[in-house]
Amino acid sequence: MALIDELGRLRDDGLEAIAASDDLTSLEAVRIALLGKKGSLTAALRGLGGLSAEERPAVGKVSNEVRTSLESALAAREGTLGSAALRARLAAEAVDITLPGRRRAPGREHLIARVVREVSDIFIGLGYTIAEGPEVELDYYNFTALNTPPDHPARNASDTFYVEDLSGETAAVRGESDVLLRTQTSPVQVRVMENATPPIYILAPGRVYRRDVADPSHLPQFTQIEGLVVDEGITFGDLKGTLEHFAREMFGPQRKVRLRPHFFPFTEPSAEVDVSCHLCDGVGCRMCKGSGWLEILGCGVVDPNVFGFAGIDPERYTGFAFGMGAERIAALKYGVPDLRHFVESDMRFLRQF
Amino acid sequence: MRVSLKWLRELVDVTLDTPALVDLLDMTGTKVEAIHTVGQAVDGVVVGRILTKERHPEAEKLWVTTVDVGAGEPLQIVCGAQNFEAGDLVPVATVGTTLPNGLTIKKAKLRGVVSEGMNCSAAELGLGADQSGLLILPSDAPVGTPFFEYHGTADTVLELEVTPNRPDCLSMAGVAREVAAVTGVSARVPSGVPSESGAPVSTSVSVAIEDPAFCPRYTARLIRGVKIAPSPEWLAERVAAAGARPISNVVDVTNYVMFELGQPLHAFDAAAIGVADGRAAITVRVARPGERLVTLDGQDRELTADTLVIADPTGPVALAGVMGGADTEVTDATVDILLEAACFAPASVGRTSRRLALISEASQRFERGVDPNACIAAVDRAAQLLAEVSGGTVAPGVIDAYPVPIVPAVVTLRVSRTNALLGTDLTEPVVTGILTRLGLTVTGSDDADVLLVTVPTFRPDLTREADLIEEVVRVFGMDRVASTLPAGRGRVGGLTSQQTLTERIGAALRGAGLNEAITWSFADPTDTERLEWTFGPGEMPVRLLNPMSADQAVLRTTTLPGLLRAVAHNRNRGVADVHLYEIGSVWFTADGRKLPKERTVIAGVLAGSWKRPEWNDAPPVLDLFDAKGVLESVIEDLGIARFKLRATDLPWLQPGRSAEVLVGGDVIGWLGEAHPSVLDAYECAGPVAVFEVQLKPLLKAARDVRPFTDLPRYPGVKMDVALVVDEGVSAERAEQTIRSAGGKLLESARLFDVYRGEGVPAGLKSLAYSLVYRDPERTLTSDEVEQAHEKLVRKVTGALGGRLRGGE
Ligand SMILES: [Zn+2]
Repeated sequence: MALIDELGRLRDDGLEAIAASDDLTSLEAVRIALLGKKGSLTAALRGLGGLSAEERPAVGKVSNEVRTSLESALAAREGTLGSAALRARLAAEAVDITLPGRRRAPGREHLIARVVREVSDIFIGLGYTIAEGPEVELDYYNFTALNTPPDHPARNASDTFYVEDLSGETAAVRGESDVLLRTQTSPVQVRVMENATPPIYILAPGRVYRRDVADPSHLPQFTQIEGLVVDEGITFGDLKGTLEHFAREMFGPQRKVRLRPHFFPFTEPSAEVDVSCHLCDGVGCRMCKGSGWLEILGCGVVDPNVFGFAGIDPERYTGFAFGMGAERIAALKYGVPDLRHFVESDMRFLRQF
Repeated sequence: MRVSLKWLRELVDVTLDTPALVDLLDMTGTKVEAIHTVGQAVDGVVVGRILTKERHPEAEKLWVTTVDVGAGEPLQIVCGAQNFEAGDLVPVATVGTTLPNGLTIKKAKLRGVVSEGMNCSAAELGLGADQSGLLILPSDAPVGTPFFEYHGTADTVLELEVTPNRPDCLSMAGVAREVAAVTGVSARVPSGVPSESGAPVSTSVSVAIEDPAFCPRYTARLIRGVKIAPSPEWLAERVAAAGARPISNVVDVTNYVMFELGQPLHAFDAAAIGVADGRAAITVRVARPGERLVTLDGQDRELTADTLVIADPTGPVALAGVMGGADTEVTDATVDILLEAACFAPASVGRTSRRLALISEASQRFERGVDPNACIAAVDRAAQLLAEVSGGTVAPGVIDAYPVPIVPAVVTLRVSRTNALLGTDLTEPVVTGILTRLGLTVTGSDDADVLLVTVPTFRPDLTREADLIEEVVRVFGMDRVASTLPAGRGRVGGLTSQQTLTERIGAALRGAGLNEAITWSFADPTDTERLEWTFGPGEMPVRLLNPMSADQAVLRTTTLPGLLRAVAHNRNRGVADVHLYEIGSVWFTADGRKLPKERTVIAGVLAGSWKRPEWNDAPPVLDLFDAKGVLESVIEDLGIARFKLRATDLPWLQPGRSAEVLVGGDVIGWLGEAHPSVLDAYECAGPVAVFEVQLKPLLKAARDVRPFTDLPRYPGVKMDVALVVDEGVSAERAEQTIRSAGGKLLESARLFDVYRGEGVPAGLKSLAYSLVYRDPERTLTSDEVEQAHEKLVRKVTGALGGRLRGGE
């Protein structure tokens, strides 16, 4: 049976060629040479037609076996060569994962805006809303309605920026003007009190201006955050509790708070508020100048005269107010040694926070 | 206010040590700003006698002295002071001594002459500010004794911050009263009764007050036959401890009594005051038009009609409460002294001293209010001391012009109100006890809750119930008030929708890569010229009346100069990539306006690249399309549909790279690249992309809630088209044309390439769009897509006068 012998030889040669092919391209060439339309097995099988009916089943069986074995050898070899190719490709694509990532950094919030937001969030949690008002203000709202009458030392032109009044009216005090850059955000409180009926729980953050030369601890333009509460039955104890809550939220749960009596024209009693130093835990360090305390804000019970100007009955309602400088809070909390960083827009500063 | 504890202890029994006293003062409202130790004992300083004084052979201003220090050979000491003679007693720092300023004395050669110690000034020993010469000691000082053993123990000086409502604490007596009140003891306020002789004062002096509103009280005494001389040591030391420079016995006594009792005094040379009816005639009045006065500092001053003056028949002799006149000044030749202790109206003194920039210890006390009922005690005390230290005699009697005596006020206080306001539970005896300790007199009334409180005139700040409640909590202790939170009923905190949107704009700008900045609201008046800024009709910037500097004399009308300065600031420090935004105000005013228009704007600046090139990323140089992209992110985040740029040449932007920003058809700002001449003016290298838009119209156009759009269920078909059109055809027009030509089936058109060059004739450009056709209800057939696309191409090429790239 010459054909059977030939099929056997074909199989042996084929298996050898499959084993010898060393990449997928040469393996494909082998496959075509064996099993393609013009392949050797195909050609050999064409001789099947010339066989007798007795011979045919046996030869047919052998030829199927040869095809099957070649096909499975091809598949096996393809698998072997394929995973080798994949391995080679993966090896070639390996990277140094310690190389820096590719990114575009989002911008940062200004530290002062962040402090304003942190403080606002604390007071929003206590039921406050945020109030806003103009930065160029009338003397009346900045001073008079806040119980700071003309000739009061706090109105001194050396502290306040006055603005040209183009209305043709003249100011009560020479060298001053009825129009000024607000020195505090308290005028916002007056405007709210004029237009709303208690209960009032507001926080008024915003830019304010004072005639100070810019140096490490002063800026002629800075950010004030003031709060005002007017309601029935508000007490000095409520003010204390509110500020203690704020100080602990802002500077940490271990912080102690103390109120020292002070003077402000628009509150009585008035106090300055110290928080125990978060750097040294009250022991005394450079930040707190050895005292263990950091002064963070001023506060007090709303003076009845202020209610008088705003048309609120001081016998029915009482209230408290407080104010702090965002720059000072930021400087203390984040250890910024020079307030001028806040207005210089240095990218290296802005991107730190 | 400087308080010597040595002095204070003479006026009140201080039972606390210094740290405890400081703490108590802090916690009761008298803040201790600094603690100075004066005259801390220094080992090695002894009392020495200068035996000889010779000129230094090599140095004109130096002396070579020999000094007896009580032991061994006299020391040879080279000395630079000029105020001594041989025979004087001085403190001597011997070799090895370390002075309070840290200097250690060594044996040394000074310009070739050996020096074995140092003759000391008061300042060098930490005894005050006087470094004008050696501290000359009294002639009975024992030579060789350790100096600080002779001089006495050290003193501590507290620097108190006295709040404007507490004029009484601007004196030692007042501080003593305060310390007594908060520690629960009583103070000893010093007084002096001069022994009088000679003709009564009323035969020599007359005083008239024209308007008691400006001067409620004027008292005076006459001291005859004084000898002007340096003060005795105790007086000089006290005055120095309080912060003044010892000058002469007369000046020092007036300062001493001011520091002791809080009443400023003025000493006139009585002979220099003009006479009427045989008496030195003083009138307190406002200045008349055209009047002038040469003040003590030698300045000839023109007086305005609201200046309160002390005048004699010839004209003003002093600015009341502010400064004396040169002509009536006490000199070495003065024999008789007229001592003034008056009460002037705070507002008048405050105005005059501020206008003339003459702020003194006296003016500060008058401005806050002196006690009109303490004038006599002060003038008596000063007369007594003056007689003591100057050898003069006090004329009998006091001149006292007090047209309308001021009586202590009675203020009612409700105990219930006190507790309601403080959140306390104080009883009436506790409240009464606190007020009594403060020197107030409390009497009951028909109503057990109501107290009648008489307030002495040295506490002008206590006029209302609220003032008394403050005193109660101050002395009771704020730390003893229990902390609570407001009870409140049904209030909800939060941001308004406008505030929330503003915060979102900030977040979108940061997400797009910009960093938040805060720049000055102040601007240089020349900024608008440099920008060639165009104002609306009648509009102008807001001018400051008292700017800090000429380059910050107006309020900004645009954030652009500030942002460009920020770029320059960064570039000067080697930072090339600057991307900033600011949300802040700009101001415009006009004739007739009181308050200016205040607008919040959102502004941005982009210069350099997003970052420096990295190993796998080389970002391009930022230009106006990056700025536009930033703004588009904000617009998209706010859900604003109608947004576009319109090419317009604005003077501060580079022509052809300059646009107005429109939202809903209204111009809300501008965007572009800064004009090269503007960049030069602000010293920035370009390109610098900038924008500024108004916040309000953005908030108005924002759609806070956007309804859901269904996601596509059927496949879309992507087709690309490259249109060759004239350069004059804008991308906006091309896209509009494509959209209208595409009809309902065209879902989107994305410009992915703009090409000029080979294959595209000059003057033309190729715009390549990626189009997606889709029907939301079904799958499109390829015939339908081809038809739609052909129609689109036909219409677009027709409308734009263009053709397909690669087509005919
Ligand atoms: Zn500390």
